[in-house]
Amino acid sequence: MRKILALFLVVLFAFPAVAADYPAQNITGVVQWGAGGGTDSLMRPLSALAEQSLGKSIIIQNMTGATGSIATQYVYDAPTDGYTLLMGAENPALYDILEISELTYSNFDCVYLIGDEVVGIVVGKNSPYKSFTEIIDAAKKAPWTLKISTTGTGGLPWEVGAFITDITGAMFLQIPYDSDASAKTAVMNGECDFTVCKIQSGIEDWKAGDLKFLCLLSTKKVDVMPDVPLVTAEYPDFAKYLPWGPFYGVFVKKGTDAGVIAKLSEAFTKAGPQESYQKVLANFNINFLGYSGEEAAKYISSWRENTVNALKNSGALE
Amino acid sequence: MEALSYMSVMLREPWLIALVAAGTCAGVYVGAIPGLSGTMAVSLLVSFTFGWEQHSALAVMVGVYVGSVFGGSRSAILLNIPGAPAAVATALDGYALAKQGRAGEAMGLATSQSVIGTLLGVLALATCAPLVASIARNFHSIDYLMLSLMGLMMVGSLSGRSVRFGLIAGCIGIFLGCVGVDGQTAIKRFTFNIVYLNSGVDYVVAMIGLFGASEALSQITDMKATPVKQKVDKILPSWAESLKYLGLTIKSSIIGVLVGALPGAGGDIAALLSYDQAKRSVRNPSAPFGKGAVEGIIAPESANNAAIGGAFIPMLTLGIPGDAVTAVLISALTIQGLRPGPNLIAQTPDLFWLIVASLLVASFFLLVFGLTGIKAFTKIVEVPKGILMPTILILSVIGAYAIRNSVYDILWMFGFGIIGYFLKRFNYPIAPIVLGVILTRLCEENYRRGVMLQGGSVMGMLGSIFTSYISIALFVLLVVLFVTQTETYKHWQAKRREGN
Repeated sequence: MRKILALFLVVLFAFPAVAADYPAQNITGVVQWGAGGGTDSLMRPLSALAEQSLGKSIIIQNMTGATGSIATQYVYDAPTDGYTLLMGAENPALYDILEISELTYSNFDCVYLIGDEVVGIVVGKNSPYKSFTEIIDAAKKAPWTLKISTTGTGGLPWEVGAFITDITGAMFLQIPYDSDASAKTAVMNGECDFTVCKIQSGIEDWKAGDLKFLCLLSTKKVDVMPDVPLVTAEYPDFAKYLPWGPFYGVFVKKGTDAGVIAKLSEAFTKAGPQESYQKVLANFNINFLGYSGEEAAKYISSWRENTVNALKNSGALE
Repeated sequence: MEALSYMSVMLREPWLIALVAAGTCAGVYVGAIPGLSGTMAVSLLVSFTFGWEQHSALAVMVGVYVGSVFGGSRSAILLNIPGAPAAVATALDGYALAKQGRAGEAMGLATSQSVIGTLLGVLALATCAPLVASIARNFHSIDYLMLSLMGLMMVGSLSGRSVRFGLIAGCIGIFLGCVGVDGQTAIKRFTFNIVYLNSGVDYVVAMIGLFGASEALSQITDMKATPVKQKVDKILPSWAESLKYLGLTIKSSIIGVLVGALPGAGGDIAALLSYDQAKRSVRNPSAPFGKGAVEGIIAPESANNAAIGGAFIPMLTLGIPGDAVTAVLISALTIQGLRPGPNLIAQTPDLFWLIVASLLVASFFLLVFGLTGIKAFTKIVEVPKGILMPTILILSVIGAYAIRNSVYDILWMFGFGIIGYFLKRFNYPIAPIVLGVILTRLCEENYRRGVMLQGGSVMGMLGSIFTSYISIALFVLLVVLFVTQTETYKHWQAKRREGN
């Protein structure tokens, strides 16, 4: 009910904003994923801090569905007055390529790029594969038989699967699941051979010994898993795609007044480095970036370029 | 002993009891309004309790969860509008009882069964969580496929007058369940390039439209019918009666715990499956199923509440949600700085027992709030239709919108309302449509996954049934369910009984 009321008020008082008196009213932050999910858990505490310097509230609204494209469309359809923010993960960067939607992050300006995270190759505890190389060798010996559990076309394991194929030439059977939790479960119960998992979502199972991280897709060692090797140790060619991982940011529709964007960026840039928020990031194992403006745009465009190249080279895309 | 000392936190911090009570009370009302769901209420609470300490936040959320699962039965019995998908089965016999003036009795029964179901669910959570969790974890794609097939076979149970009509309704549901972006290949189906169709049809929207809006529409076009005077003298079922049905309650609760614990299926499917089970196994029901059989309330109501304890099992032991509400609860724990996963119970045993204790307290308050409100609730049925029906329409609009904050969902809801209205006029059953929408994804995705896992071979998939005990057990069950439905078997049964 609160959300509905808030939305109603926003609609009622919506009028064109001028940078000078921005923000004159509360701001709506549309989160692409569900309440309490990874993206949501990063956006709520950040917004609470940014509110302090903005002087108005940021009302978080979760709008889920269709890999986040519903929320993306919603923010795109809203006026360019800076009162509707898109709070999202990396997914929209590839919407057009995957034909999910015509909108991508090129239709938006990045207000604040929070950070990205490291992913790793994981197997179940009873898996016969002791290293990433063993998986690749087995897959090369018998192409299209090793099973990688994915979260569907366009999801994280699907993307990384394409990188692996591009660099090693190994071919896998991709088995899609409906969430990263069920993709992980499929590896633990032996239905699939391996998957790709964010540190955030696999670390507890790793600590319990139910899941083994064989290697991490990162250029430097990760503090919480000091003994897990980097993928570049076995396959140095991976370096050309690294660092790579899911990222999180706050966006406004292109065409928003530059002054408004500057004010938003300033507020979020102040919020990000604060100690309480850094603790949240550490808890989720997110690499803090804190980019805005040009820097953020550059990061996203090179992320997209790298990913699309790998997808094309591996044959995942035409 | 250790467990008791952890659970006594409730006594040391008595405000927790008050929070559970408040949560349960609010949950009953949230659950009773179609479209306002426990998932939504708990999601709201996640941001609301952001700054609270863990125990208080969890206590109130557990209360809301238990209350909302039960609350769905209220509107199902009184208005034929299930407040939540888990109460769809309850509506079939509950509303039939209400039409006979026995709504009070039906609500009393739903209350006592929900309480017993919750308690049995807690018992399972406290005593055999590791066992149930290992079953849930070892549930393969093929097993989900067989489970969904069992669900689809229920079209027969939900059809009422004629199986043919039920099949048509089921097919409509399956078709609508296909709309949207296919999760496995990202290919759009029946979306006509409208972005808002990409996420498909939400089955709660379908339910609100088919039951809520269509009921309002059909009652408005039939204003002459006078409301049934409700008897309120017999509300609390007697001990003797509860004992008589204890076997059914326990069977249904076991189904509830097991299905609730499966990450891919929740209380809604548990309730439907146990209704089906009751319909098959109860020899001489108090009235024919669908026409006011008390067994038709006992089975789904005990199952959907037992599913709560079930859903907590994978959440607490594996960090994998058993249903939508526990998914939100996992995030609530994450926000609180905890790390849900296989280490949660070892690291924070107090939390596990706090949840068990909160569930116990919640089931007590469920009894209190469930039984005290009955007289007032029965008055709802006696409200003049000119006031009641527009109110239901308004609630349906709000409910449909609130699920995803999407205006398109309101249109869907009205579309379903109109379909439901005409189906009702021509005596088609509508529950199979909801069944179809709920089960399409589960069935289709697991079928495709099962085939893919065998490198594209359907025979290979069928062969993989015989590689695990769970699969074999499910397969046997599926075959039995199918065979006992056939005419030949029924014939043979009838003959055998004559012979006796």
